[in-house]
Amino acid sequence: MTKTILTIDDSRTMRDMLMLALSGAGYRVIQAVDGVDGLETLSAEGADIVITDINMPRLDGFGFIEGMRADPANRSIPVLVLTTESDAAKKQRARDAGATGWIVKPFDPVKLIEAVRRVAA
Amino acid sequence: MSETDPFEAIKVVFFQECDELLGDLEAGLLAMESGRTDSETVNAVFRAVHSVKGGAGAFGLDALVRFAHVFETLMDEIRAGRKPCDDLTVKTLLRASDVLADHIAAARGQADPVDEARSAALVAELEALTHGDEGAVLSEPVADDIAAIEIDLGADEFGFKPVAFNFAALDAPVETAEPELQAWRITLRPHGRMYANANETGLLLRELARLGETAVALDLSALPDLNALAAEEGCLTWTVELTTAAPEADIRDVFDFVETDCDLEIVRASDEASASEDAAAPESEPESEPEFDIAALLARAQAEVVAEAPVAPVEAVLPQLTAEIAPAPAPVEVSTPPAVQAAAAPVPAKAPAAVTIRVDLDRVDRLINVVGELVIQQAMLAQRVTESGLARSSGVSVGLEDLELLTREIQDSVMAIRAQPVKSVFQRMPRLVREVAEMTGKKVRLVTSGEDTEVDKTVVERLAEPMTHMLRNAIDHGLETPEERLAAGKAAEGVVRLAALHRSGRIVIEISDDGAGINRERVRGIAISRGLIAEDAVLTDDEIDNLIFLPGFSTAETVTDVSGRGVGMDVVRRSIQSLGGRISIASNPGKGSTFTLSLPLTLAVLDGMVVTAAEQTLVAPLTAIVESLTPRAEDIHHVGGHDAVIRFRDAFVPLIDVAMAMGFRTTPTVSATGVAVVVENEAGQRAALLFDAIQGQRQVVIKSLETNYQQVEGVAAATILGDGRVALILDVDALTANARRQASRPELKLAS
Amino acid sequence: MTDHFSTTASDARELIAFRIGEQEFCVDIMAVREIRGWTPATPLPRTPGYMKGVINLRGAVLPIIDLGVRFGLTTSEPTARHVIMVAHIGGRMVGLLVDAVSDIIQLKDEEIQPTPDVASDHVKSFVKGIFALDGRMLSLIELDRIVPEIEAEAA
Repeated sequence: MTKTILTIDDSRTMRDMLMLALSGAGYRVIQAVDGVDGLETLSAEGADIVITDINMPRLDGFGFIEGMRADPANRSIPVLVLTTESDAAKKQRARDAGATGWIVKPFDPVKLIEAVRRVAA
Repeated sequence: MSETDPFEAIKVVFFQECDELLGDLEAGLLAMESGRTDSETVNAVFRAVHSVKGGAGAFGLDALVRFAHVFETLMDEIRAGRKPCDDLTVKTLLRASDVLADHIAAARGQADPVDEARSAALVAELEALTHGDEGAVLSEPVADDIAAIEIDLGADEFGFKPVAFNFAALDAPVETAEPELQAWRITLRPHGRMYANANETGLLLRELARLGETAVALDLSALPDLNALAAEEGCLTWTVELTTAAPEADIRDVFDFVETDCDLEIVRASDEASASEDAAAPESEPESEPEFDIAALLARAQAEVVAEAPVAPVEAVLPQLTAEIAPAPAPVEVSTPPAVQAAAAPVPAKAPAAVTIRVDLDRVDRLINVVGELVIQQAMLAQRVTESGLARSSGVSVGLEDLELLTREIQDSVMAIRAQPVKSVFQRMPRLVREVAEMTGKKVRLVTSGEDTEVDKTVVERLAEPMTHMLRNAIDHGLETPEERLAAGKAAEGVVRLAALHRSGRIVIEISDDGAGINRERVRGIAISRGLIAEDAVLTDDEIDNLIFLPGFSTAETVTDVSGRGVGMDVVRRSIQSLGGRISIASNPGKGSTFTLSLPLTLAVLDGMVVTAAEQTLVAPLTAIVESLTPRAEDIHHVGGHDAVIRFRDAFVPLIDVAMAMGFRTTPTVSATGVAVVVENEAGQRAALLFDAIQGQRQVVIKSLETNYQQVEGVAAATILGDGRVALILDVDALTANARRQASRPELKLAS
Repeated sequence: MTDHFSTTASDARELIAFRIGEQEFCVDIMAVREIRGWTPATPLPRTPGYMKGVINLRGAVLPIIDLGVRFGLTTSEPTARHVIMVAHIGGRMVGLLVDAVSDIIQLKDEEIQPTPDVASDHVKSFVKGIFALDGRMLSLIELDRIVPEIEAEAA
């Protein structure tokens, strides 16, 4: 069954690139433009995996993950954060918020797919 | 479709997005400049630069990435509160945003690469602000600076390195490692936290299995009774025997995400060759097969764990193992993200974003044209029905009236699609102001208002040029130098105001400065020396001010292009007039001047009153009309013997014989049998236009005369009426202005 | 497209000939888009005498230039016999009012002779050259000169 990935990023360029890489790998991709939109879309449509940016208006990536995890139903949905910040402290921050893993921006499409496969059955 | 096509398309999207980001960037910086340094504003600026950098990295636009990176670094310091947001910083950031824009333009091939010295200089300033007193980078030769940046890039705390996209790699076969096999033992004991983040042991194990052959054992010995189960602690230990040729880094990589949320041990099996056999996990178990059965393992684990009532702690530890996670739709609580601090000054909550779609402009234009034709056809149909003698109450006539209403509604809706706020034009102005200020050595602050005022796209695009000219003029000629201003008791910094607003069905743009105003003596003198007015001409202050619009007046003394070319105000006026607009100036010596620009809201459609004069059908714009009346002989008087005026509401307004003014007739219209339409121009001055008759009111599609011919005085544009004939749309302002200047025009040339 | 003399390998041009009064003229056929009969034009105020006004050409506003007046020849009242040549000049669509259109001619460059001095200066400014055909003299018109770039504003 095709898995659905929710991609959240305020940059249209990023959304398009994620769409290109992920749909090319056979995933169904739905999009949101910031944390609030992400929470709404997730609750309206559901997703198997979430990929989210950190820096976004209205509600950032961390806020999104925390909000998402607050609902027990979402506990098992893997979330990957897109980040240009790959030092240990930032990773911990992501983990603390509830991220399953991360992808470093700008991302290599191959690594992106690998990361997705790593966290999703 | 080849891989590069969609990729190139995304590149286009990226540059479009850059335009928006630059706009946001500038808006944010200007807000910061005027004191609004709340977290939301600063973060918005950071995000803008961050997004530019991110996208640029994906496309390998190195120069842009490097510059954006330094910019972003400083912004990060500011948003984290580690660096202040003072005046010097903001002004540097503003200049940096200009250079960033130039880098973007160069990256998209629209401009030459940015001058290295200029870019490096700004990089140096940004770095100086970022690193404070600790070793500010000096503005030394360019090469050093760039080398320094590159070193930074390699080692910076973000670990950011531009990686150009390579979609082709997606299809590349996976490289296999060197064939040398190695045995490893991996011990994994997840903490509860790992599961909370939706990491699954099963997936980790599967990942390991990809590296080579694995044998997995599960140790449940640490699993306590249900009662003693601690919520946060994991109690399962997995041991994996892995045979692989992959390096240790690859193995560790598998656990990259979960490293700190588990107890992890990776050792070479050969190192442990003599390790004790009492290691918690036995070497291999019957369960282990080349393809181990996770399901069986998990089932076994599950069987060991009694999961009757969904106890919360159990759930926390083994969410994937229990089949019953009741997805109770608890309301999702949106916790306030720590990143967004409560702003000291309340930032107005943004209204929920309207859903928008992107549409090809061509399609909108085509739609508008077709709707325009629809309006014409509908009018023609109505005409023919009237001519055919059908009663107005007949079904056909009534149906036609309904049709007219519908058509009008369609037209309004379609026009609204193309309505755009003037913001897009306003946004280019701050940078222009900065540049002109720098070139002329003046200190300027630009204050804008009404950016959201909407106008048809066709008008918005044509606003930029005249606005630019007038702003340049205001700064170059309107404002005094800082020294002069101080001497005059003004603040050294001059203020230029740019405002847009709707007024009586038109859009009005005002550009005012608090400079010295128009030097009327000088203007008068120039006009006389160019033979534009007689030496002894008596002119009101207003009239003198407006002399600058006369063709032939302009020299390098009026408006200077920043590159030194002279652009006359008459050219500006002409370009405004070709849009059906008006421009005027009001000046207060010592205090400043205000240019007022008024334009129709759309260049496409007009509500008009259809009139006849000397057998010619004309259209007068409804927005200019105050009232129509039938003149009585006793209401008409003549000033000075021949200038006709008519009484209107306790005042006398000039009476203009349109047929004669347009040259359609040499004999005056008989006022008593005609109709007078009182109109008001931009300045609020009134006049009465005398026509033969009024035909009715209609919405007409505007056809420009300039397309195939040129501007004609007294005529704003043309339209095609129901009978297929062309009717001229009157330029009411020009008519009234003409009449006020010269009452009679004996040399009038008859239109043939 | 403003240069209406397309160069072909053999330097031959295709021209369309028309008549105003007794005189014959021709222009490059590439610039002429269509021929139509005269329809009454809406006059424009304060325009030069040769500007007859504007007409509706399938939704576009087309200015009509009376070539007879433009060339300084006798002014003639437009009757149904008169013909409008819709031409593309300098990026604009313009209607040229003439008496009649006659035929289409092939012409080689070397057949064009310079305009003799007897012709009045006024007409000369529009004429590129003259040539003979079947005993008739035709003047080759420079279309670009018919529509001035910027008209001086009327008084």
